[in-house]
Amino acid sequence: MNNLAIETEGLTRRFGELEAVRDVNLRVEAGQFFGFLGPNGAGKSTIIKMLTGLLEPTAGRIRILGLDLAAEPIAVKSQIGVVPEGLALFDRLTGPEYLNFAGRMYGLDRATAAERAQELLDFMSLADRPKTLIVDYSHGMKKKLAMAAAVIHSPKVLFLDEPFEGVDAIAAGALKAMLNRMIARGATIFLTSHVLEIVERLCSHVAIISRGDLVAQGSIDELRSGVAARQDGGQKASLEQIFLDIVGGERVAARELSWLE
Amino acid sequence: MTLTPGRQEQLRLVAWLRWRLFVNGLRTRRGKADLASKIILGVALGVVVLGVGPLVGGGSWYAIHKPQPYVLPGELWAIFVVWLMLPIFVSGFGAESNPGSLLRFPLRYSAFAVLALAHGAFDPVGVAAIYWLFAMLVGIAIASPGAALWAIPALAAFALFNLLVNRVIFAWLSHWLAKRRTREVLGLIFLLVMFSFQLCGPLSQRYGKTAMPVVLRLVAFGRFFPPGMAASMITTGHAGGVSRAALYFGGLAVFCLLFSWALSIRLRAEYRGENVSEARVEKTAAPTAVRAGFSVAGLSPAVAALLEKDVKYLIRNTTMFFTLAVPFILVVVMSLNKGSEHGSGPAFMRSGSTVFPLSVGYVMLVLVGFAYNVFGYDGAGVSVLFAAPVRFRDVVVAKNLLHALMVSVEVMLIGVLDWVVVGPVRGPIVFLTLLAAAGFILVNLAVGDLTSLYFPRKLNFGQMRRQQTSGVSILVSLGTQAVLAGLAFGFYLISDVTGNLSWCGIGFLVFDVLALVLYRRVLAAIDGLALKRRDALVNELCR
Repeated sequence: MNNLAIETEGLTRRFGELEAVRDVNLRVEAGQFFGFLGPNGAGKSTIIKMLTGLLEPTAGRIRILGLDLAAEPIAVKSQIGVVPEGLALFDRLTGPEYLNFAGRMYGLDRATAAERAQELLDFMSLADRPKTLIVDYSHGMKKKLAMAAAVIHSPKVLFLDEPFEGVDAIAAGALKAMLNRMIARGATIFLTSHVLEIVERLCSHVAIISRGDLVAQGSIDELRSGVAARQDGGQKASLEQIFLDIVGGERVAARELSWLE
Repeated sequence: MTLTPGRQEQLRLVAWLRWRLFVNGLRTRRGKADLASKIILGVALGVVVLGVGPLVGGGSWYAIHKPQPYVLPGELWAIFVVWLMLPIFVSGFGAESNPGSLLRFPLRYSAFAVLALAHGAFDPVGVAAIYWLFAMLVGIAIASPGAALWAIPALAAFALFNLLVNRVIFAWLSHWLAKRRTREVLGLIFLLVMFSFQLCGPLSQRYGKTAMPVVLRLVAFGRFFPPGMAASMITTGHAGGVSRAALYFGGLAVFCLLFSWALSIRLRAEYRGENVSEARVEKTAAPTAVRAGFSVAGLSPAVAALLEKDVKYLIRNTTMFFTLAVPFILVVVMSLNKGSEHGSGPAFMRSGSTVFPLSVGYVMLVLVGFAYNVFGYDGAGVSVLFAAPVRFRDVVVAKNLLHALMVSVEVMLIGVLDWVVVGPVRGPIVFLTLLAAAGFILVNLAVGDLTSLYFPRKLNFGQMRRQQTSGVSILVSLGTQAVLAGLAFGFYLISDVTGNLSWCGIGFLVFDVLALVLYRRVLAAIDGLALKRRDALVNELCR
């Protein structure tokens, strides 16, 4: 019996003529801290939207924790947490109200939702703004609140789209500690980030998508050994080197603009 | 090294930019549908504007042909008020798009100022007003070609003055509206002003005769203001008073200079890169325990949570909340006519049995707009609704429930108010009105749920921009109300002709059953439709 938290088969998404995601077969085992990488416009957000039920695939199948997302969307959604691109908050609620709302939307009873909301506000250092509307939060505060809402129901799989973007070092430290504790308790985390150092430090496994195609997936060590074999290098390659090797970024970096003095 | 393009080139580029934005906007089905609805509304308004032209021209002809002191100033005051107020009504109370976004480029100040002025001149209301002024000129020229020689500079200066006033108002409003809280307060004031226009009729009927001498005395002072100055310049110039006419022209020029100066203050500040966006207030407070949310018997926790969220949104939306009070104020004001000593008020205001159905109809008309774009205020939060383990049907039910609750509470309160200020309502009338209202609510919710999914528009709190609502939704809503009103009128006619009110009751009862079937069918299809429309919804509302 497999132990896959996320599995896709032939996942494809077309927007009119454009094939944004093509025949992606992704496999993420339960308990993995999984980094999903790719250049801008490669299809990362499109895939994360499809995996979380925010976008309908044109073709292919998605299974989360063994459940078919198309057939059992409610059962799947109740076991996952999402911090989507753009955060998606109800900005005319206060932080406590929003967490309370999110908890009950995920099926927590009123008392538990309130209790967990309180704990999360304390943990995220947001408790001292009980009456401030979310619209008046800073970007970092909104990010922490979105993260808090995504974990309030203790999800088994957590999807995070650029979770550390715009978050200060102190808050980022607290978030990373929380995510690592979730991994230690058996949760699966699937995150996208442009900051490869963060992915390298946190994730055990990665997948790389380029122009809608899944071009690599495996543990960082497996990808590293693949690059080393191709380059005959004696040095241990960083994730950035692995990434550039796979998506061909070095050629772009080497180019120059003729008119730029 | 590149050379900064000249003003004409910059203006040409901006014109090209606007054109491309317009053309690219038509790539989507929504863009095309919006254009079509704008054309339909534009043609309807165009007919009105064109129809007013001959009336205004005829009035001007009459004013010169048979000297009438009040006609020309009256027409110019009316154009002044329309030019001033309609753009605010049409574009609404929101910070308008301005050329400030182009300031990252090396835009010359002169090009920036021309763009700001052009924005007002090409405003549909501005075009209509200029057409009416031209119609006035034609009327004056036909009555007396000599008078037209005075009318040309007078009306041109008056047009320039109006253009400047319009721009000054929008420039300063945009400045104030950049702050969220100010925007909300001004939005409320805007609603009050809009509402106060509805009071003009009843108040003039009640106090018109008493107020008329005062109004006539005030009219005499009108010649010290641009509309009066322009009219006086034409009439005195035509009568041979050259020096006095020149004096009025000088007065108009002074007003134009004054408003040019006020406009330049704002434009220069904007050109310098003034940033008036709201700074976040760093207020901390002692942490308080998080309170448990609503618990509503018969509702699932998720629907109760959604309902609670929407109630909080309603309470925090000042303009939306104020809208709920409008029907009550109207009933009170309309009732002023009822007790007038001459009994000049409309007959229907003397009986609670006629006032109640009308005020319930008014309540539904005022609130119906909320049902046609139910996700508008959710904005990016709509993603949460799709990501959560909740059927979309439940989300829609929560929103419909709030709407039905709002209408029910309003109907109940307005019934009490009608009874207090007008008189008792007959039992059968109450029954029939509620029967009709139930069906109307169901039909509007069913149609509104569909337009909310197919033509969603993100709405901003404290703003009332008409363009924020999809033109298609407006048309669908208007069409639905027309059909429902026609239906109600039909049932009423049948009852009136047969002299038997129960026909009306049977009609509404059948209608209610059909409306319920329609609503249930829409609700049954909502999950599937929401899945199909989720990309479009998320894209539109998360912008």
